[in-house]
Amino acid sequence: MIMIKAIVRPDKKEVVLNELSKAGFHAATVIDVVGRGKQKGITFGDILYDEIPKSLIMLAVKDGDKEDVLDVILQHAKTSENGAFGDGKVIISPIDEVYTVSSGVAEL
Amino acid sequence: MKEIIAVVRMNKVSVTKKALIEVGAAGFTATKVVGRGKLVEDKSIIAERRKTLLALAQKDDQTTEKMITEFLDGTRLFPRRMFNILAHDEDVVKIISAIIKANKTEYKVGDGKIFVLPALDAVRVRTKESGDAAI
Repeated sequence: MIMIKAIVRPDKKEVVLNELSKAGFHAATVIDVVGRGKQKGITFGDILYDEIPKSLIMLAVKDGDKEDVLDVILQHAKTSENGAFGDGKVIISPIDEVYTVSSGVAEL
Repeated sequence: MKEIIAVVRMNKVSVTKKALIEVGAAGFTATKVVGRGKLVEDKSIIAERRKTLLALAQKDDQTTEKMITEFLDGTRLFPRRMFNILAHDEDVVKIISAIIKANKTEYKVGDGKIFVLPALDAVRVRTKESGDAAI
């Protein structure tokens, strides 16, 4: 089991969630976050904005579904054909165990 | 060392905190999150929840009904509280059973998920202790 954390533009959140749902990955947790990337934020005039709002979409999936989920996120979180700075990142980490509280069973 | 991520109902935060203290893992970080679970296949559970929610609403207008329907068909994201807890390997089982015990309801759905992730290292900023001593 793996945890996929996708940091995407807040205005792409809805699209990505809808497409994930269509692809069969309905469950997700969404957090509003702020951060900066490799470009050190954005500078307008003299002002540096380095706390740029993003949405973090967190979902747990089976190992074999990794590519499918990645495809959906990478395709729909992009702002243009070539993509642009600030479109986000996807971080993947391992999960040892998952429990569903309602049933108390160790499965997704 | 493990990181336990638990997503629980907003109104279960205080019982979860109490349960964590009782089990000896008082430290945690909590965040307000929104999310949704997998689609519920058993229609009778949904119908029952819909009935209870409509009764709770005490109003019979269309907006309320539409909201409740959207809540249950998976188009809306639910507010939840996410706990991040660092734990020693041997404590994971008892922390998880404590969280499950505190958060279980009779609704059958929406009680949340618990993830256990491996954590490579932790450092206490005050003393620079690392590894298991930092928890």
